[in-house]
Amino acid sequence: MKILTTVKKVVDVELNIHVKDGAIVEDGLQYVINAWDENAVEAAVQLKENNSAETTLVSIGGGDNTDMIRKCYAMGIENGIHIEDPALANADSSAYAKVLQKVYEKDDYDLIITGKQAQDTDSGQTGIILGEYLGLPCVSNVISIEVMDDQHIKVSRLGDTGTEILEMELPAVVTVSDSINEPRLPAMRGIMMAKKKKINVMDLAALGTSAEEVGAGAPQSEIIEFMKSETRQAGQKFEGDAAQITAQVVNLLATEAKVL
Amino acid sequence: MAKILVIADIKQGVLKGSTAELLSKARAMGAETAVVAVGSNIESLAPDLAAAGSDTQFIADDPSLEQFSAGPYASCIVDAAKQFEATLIWFGFSESGKAAAPRVAAQLNAACATEITDATLEGDEIQVIRPAIAGKVIQRIKVNTEQLVAVVRAGAFEATEGITGTENVVKLTAPAADLKAVIKEIISDASGEIDLADADIVISVGRGAKDQAGVDLVKELANDMKAGFGSSRAMVDGGFMAHNKQVGQTGKIVAPTLYMAFGISGAIQHLAGMNGSKVILAVNKDPEAPIFNVADYGIVGDLFEVVPVLREEIKKVRS
Ligand SMILES: Cc1cc2nc3c(=O)[nH]c(=O)nc-3n(C[C@H](O)[C@H](O)[C@H](O)COP(=O)(O)OP(=O)(O)OC[C@H]3O[C@@H](n4cnc5c(N)ncnc54)[C@H](O)[C@@H]3O)c2cc1C
Ligand SMILES: Nc1ncnc2c1ncn2[C@@H]1O[C@H](COP(=O)(O)O)[C@@H](O)[C@H]1O
Repeated sequence: MKILTTVKKVVDVELNIHVKDGAIVEDGLQYVINAWDENAVEAAVQLKENNSAETTLVSIGGGDNTDMIRKCYAMGIENGIHIEDPALANADSSAYAKVLQKVYEKDDYDLIITGKQAQDTDSGQTGIILGEYLGLPCVSNVISIEVMDDQHIKVSRLGDTGTEILEMELPAVVTVSDSINEPRLPAMRGIMMAKKKKINVMDLAALGTSAEEVGAGAPQSEIIEFMKSETRQAGQKFEGDAAQITAQVVNLLATEAKVL
Repeated sequence: MAKILVIADIKQGVLKGSTAELLSKARAMGAETAVVAVGSNIESLAPDLAAAGSDTQFIADDPSLEQFSAGPYASCIVDAAKQFEATLIWFGFSESGKAAAPRVAAQLNAACATEITDATLEGDEIQVIRPAIAGKVIQRIKVNTEQLVAVVRAGAFEATEGITGTENVVKLTAPAADLKAVIKEIISDASGEIDLADADIVISVGRGAKDQAGVDLVKELANDMKAGFGSSRAMVDGGFMAHNKQVGQTGKIVAPTLYMAFGISGAIQHLAGMNGSKVILAVNKDPEAPIFNVADYGIVGDLFEVVPVLREEIKKVRS
């Protein structure tokens, strides 16, 4: 089985993010692998370990992605593709999905695993749109993947009324939730080996496409402004005798906040 | 005139409040409104759908649509969107909506935006507002396609009193089943409990509750208050709470009048799911816990001591 996982380099959400004049202040930002993509990588590596698969990752944009891709190599991914092109500066989910479509078509895969969401966009669209563009079955928010035979996998997803269990025909696309696994910490040996591995860096032309074809020049939607989120103010904090402060707070909830 | 199609949120045969919220906003924007309902045995909901504020009701009612399957669900919505010639297609916040919206957008060749908190229409230009980066920033997005498919964030729009629409039912034919992704089974989450999305008060428990005894202690308070009972991911991972109780970025987004967090540290991914609540109370024994940065009222203390007192005191003020 050939597995393709998609990996995006995103801004570290644990750090402070400042906005000035409608844009994010670059100073002081750090970039990391998207958390849900780390789950996708772990899922691919587990499938490889349990069922003999060939694993490839693809990442679009992000500038120098060497460290991130090496980290995925150290986790067990075998091949890495990095699509980097200045024409992708304004890409939206649809454009990314079109680029991923080209990557898929160059070298047919049996299973595509994407994260459910990118932490910088919080969109949760790219994998699902890719499934539509490729005309492949797609299940989102997946929390387990099991290989049935060469042509089928069984997945479970978190739905509105419970856990839905589906059988999917391959090739297929799944987007994974963070509940699917706990990504491994790469071992020293893997880290050393990863340093020697190549990364296949391509621009759109090398991929056999263009900014027009993937819709990157004129995206379906574009961010025209970033604003500060209205952060809540810390309110009143009570310390001391538990019984006393609790009674005091209940009183405030009833009389001041009027929510009881 | 702009046309807004709202996807009806129906759970266990009942029309959920978010549908009226979205339709109210659509009417306030001066748009012509329609609703699309997909399911089995739902035709009788037509008057409710009209009462929620729609002027046309597209209804796909078929036994094959009983269980949610993203492919057929999206096909019905695309069908309605084309017939209605919708400018904006709005889903309320749900897992089904999140799974279907990008499909609908791809099929219509339209832009897609999730978690929107506002939308404006000026002439032909559509703009939306949405949080991103775990709620740390807000984006203003300009849409370059004629149509936009969007998932509206929970609590973003309010239902207006006294709005009604007119009943005008258009039946949709059920699409073929998705044979490449077949539902085999649904392991249903504990039903009969208050849906977090509907609850006016949500009480959540975190790792600070330690074990089942701690969870049960906090749950008694939730039962007393008829509150929705939620959880941080730590207690879901620990096996103490069901997946559908998780509040946060990968769980439920809630915006109740009162949110109470017990033994929850306040990780960014948890905050992203509840910081739209009107009033937040946090109980945590660590005075430095980040949850206190968003709490209107903070009790620094041991939840095992605080919860029993809370139950008694709340009973007193409520009686
Ligand atoms: C991609 C991704 C997505 C995620 N999505 C979510 C999500 O949707 N929802 C979510 O909740 N998390 C999510 N997380 C996990 C999140 O980062 C935190 O790990 C999690 O929220 C921590 O849960 P907690 O606050 O219960 O536990 P902890 O962080 O361990 O906090 C426990 C708190 O309890 C307090 N405490 C201990 N004992 C007591 C006591 N006796 N009385 C009072 N207080 C006490 C401690 O002081 C501490 O603050 C996600 C993480 C990732 C990487
Ligand atoms: N630029 C990118 N490069 C690689 N993968 C991406 C990229 N953008 C999105 N993806 C994948 O699509 C998922 C969903 O992204 P989004 O729709 O932006 O939330 C991510 O978790 C990634 O797996």
